[in-house]
Amino acid sequence: MFYKVTEEMGIKEKLGILTDAAKYDVACTSSGVDRRGDGTGIGNTEKGGICHSFSADGRCISLLKILFTNECIYDCKYCINRKSNDVPRASFTPDEVCELTMGFYKRNYIEGLFLSSGILYHPDFTMELIYQTIYKLRTEHRFQGYIHVKAIPGADPALIQKTGYLADRMSVNLELPTAESLRRLAPNKHRKNILAPMRQIQNGIQANKNELILYRKAPLFVPAGQSTQMIVGATGENDYQLMMVAESLYQKFGLKRVFYSAFVKVNEDKDLPALPGGPPLLREHRLYQADWLLRYYGFQARELLSEERPNFNVLLDPKADWALRHLELFPVEVNRADYQLLLRIPGVGVKSAQRIVRARRNGMLKFEDLKKIGVVLKRALYFITCGGKMMYHTKVEEDYITRNLLSAKEKLPFDKDGITYRQLSLFDDVNFQQFGQPGS
Amino acid sequence: MEEKYLICEDSLEGIFTGIYEAYALREDHRNIHLQVGEEDNLRLFAVYIRVAADSGKAAKVAGTICRRLGEGVYLDICRALASEDKGKGDAIYKTVLCGLKMKNGSRVMGNLTDRNVHKVFELARRTRNEVHHWKEFLRFQELESGILYSKIGPENNVVTFLAPHFADRLPLYDFIIYDEKRGIFVVHPKSKEWYLVTDRDFDERKAGDYSEREMEYQELFTFFCHKIAIKERENLKLQRNMLPLRFQEYMVEFGL
Repeated sequence: MFYKVTEEMGIKEKLGILTDAAKYDVACTSSGVDRRGDGTGIGNTEKGGICHSFSADGRCISLLKILFTNECIYDCKYCINRKSNDVPRASFTPDEVCELTMGFYKRNYIEGLFLSSGILYHPDFTMELIYQTIYKLRTEHRFQGYIHVKAIPGADPALIQKTGYLADRMSVNLELPTAESLRRLAPNKHRKNILAPMRQIQNGIQANKNELILYRKAPLFVPAGQSTQMIVGATGENDYQLMMVAESLYQKFGLKRVFYSAFVKVNEDKDLPALPGGPPLLREHRLYQADWLLRYYGFQARELLSEERPNFNVLLDPKADWALRHLELFPVEVNRADYQLLLRIPGVGVKSAQRIVRARRNGMLKFEDLKKIGVVLKRALYFITCGGKMMYHTKVEEDYITRNLLSAKEKLPFDKDGITYRQLSLFDDVNFQQFGQPGS
Repeated sequence: MEEKYLICEDSLEGIFTGIYEAYALREDHRNIHLQVGEEDNLRLFAVYIRVAADSGKAAKVAGTICRRLGEGVYLDICRALASEDKGKGDAIYKTVLCGLKMKNGSRVMGNLTDRNVHKVFELARRTRNEVHHWKEFLRFQELESGILYSKIGPENNVVTFLAPHFADRLPLYDFIIYDEKRGIFVVHPKSKEWYLVTDRDFDERKAGDYSEREMEYQELFTFFCHKIAIKERENLKLQRNMLPLRFQEYMVEFGL
């Protein structure tokens, strides 16, 4: 194998460059597979995933998230590592990645490895390097922790296949929701090259399930499923388009997760939008809320948004927004409503709905019981009755409830900056100092 | 009827023996209470009975709970036992009582409208959450001798729940998890079963120096945590919500 090994660079310097380059990828979960260690090596995995730390932006650190190399032959306009950018470049060797992973893992810093990469020379070449690395980690080091790797679009399907037998999760980034946007911002990537490996992994997982029925000890193929991510706010798609894409990815490609990444402007390019208010965090937050409604609450994208109302309400979360448009269904009697309907009440989550179903077997529930169970009464009280009575004398009326829900303040995971646009004053130099030195 | 208070030792054995004795009294359960440790405020007209922990009796109670209420409930009760709450003994006793009266005892933890069941549920949930937090945030440091050493300061007595997780994860390593609040150690020798050691006067300096590479790794990880953050999204409040300060003092990446 010949590639530029940046020998003169120390491991710390490489780690710095290749972490910096990997940080915009959002999928840092270690969930989806339960595996005990076999006693011959190191590591296990937990179904629910484990976060090991939180960085200064409040995002979880679960995996050693790095690029193998940030050299890249592509020139995607939104990406810090685009070919035409003058940034420091570095590449790991498979041994270095293994050593870091093992050293971090045994100290309980991380749950495993998240290995992505820029495209070095050719997709096949890059995929082969990723494969070599995790092959070493799995066999030489007997590492049984979590491994998430990227399938490089355009790489030989045979390479992706054998990588899938070593990884827990694989992902191919959709990057942008429509083929049109992709053409505009990522001229070297093609929609069909992205969807092909996604389909291949889906088929691989399905075939593996059939193998496992026949032969219990068949090797597992991508047991934690596949995920993808879309950049939000770099192109003009509305929330409705995004949700429809996400929904079809779940239904047609059997994805485990779709991640949304608020666009962070790292390059100056005429095709990229100006974002004076910073990354669209509130929009990203609403998309995640809606995504949960799709996956766990039995909602469909069409129920939440439509051609006529293509964007989420800035002030209300998608579920409350939906409920207010369907007041004919409320109030719901908590002691009788079925599970699916309970899930649709604002202030009732999956856990509290399950607890309600279990607790009411032993008798009628009262409002104080709901509180114990974990129902957020200040949101739910407009939508429920207990034993035929509402909690207070309240009107079931859209304006009235909206006003009250808004005064109860929604908890958002970030400050107001995600909502309001900072006013530009004449002498502010918001990010202007970054011209010419992207990502500084 | 006079109220009876059974005073038991703060341990699984002590409290289970208490439950055994409470049944043995064959009186109205409403008048019997379990109390963990000594009471500072004695009640008038109440009878106090000291119960010495008895492993045989405790095993019988444990057996009954497992058989009639199921393994899941048994584990929840064990989690509640790990709590420091003074009222845990009575709540567990009344929960067992409630479960044994039910047609399907394994559903007892769902009966959240019952005050005592709710309490056990709440205590168990807190322990479970804390166990999960320490699985996340505990850090091992490599000593010169090659042993991985970790110090934690949990609110509940969680080390016995942590040990199986790390023993499965690091079977080929010698490691120690030290609960500095209780003076309890989990000791896991390479390729062997783990066990508990109690030493209230442990002096950390006896553990020895860190290995040569330890500081290098701590520095690398701290650097990694720094580099992975996106400046445009900085949100220290969210970071602290997700990772409370009481854990940060035990984590290498916040110490440097």
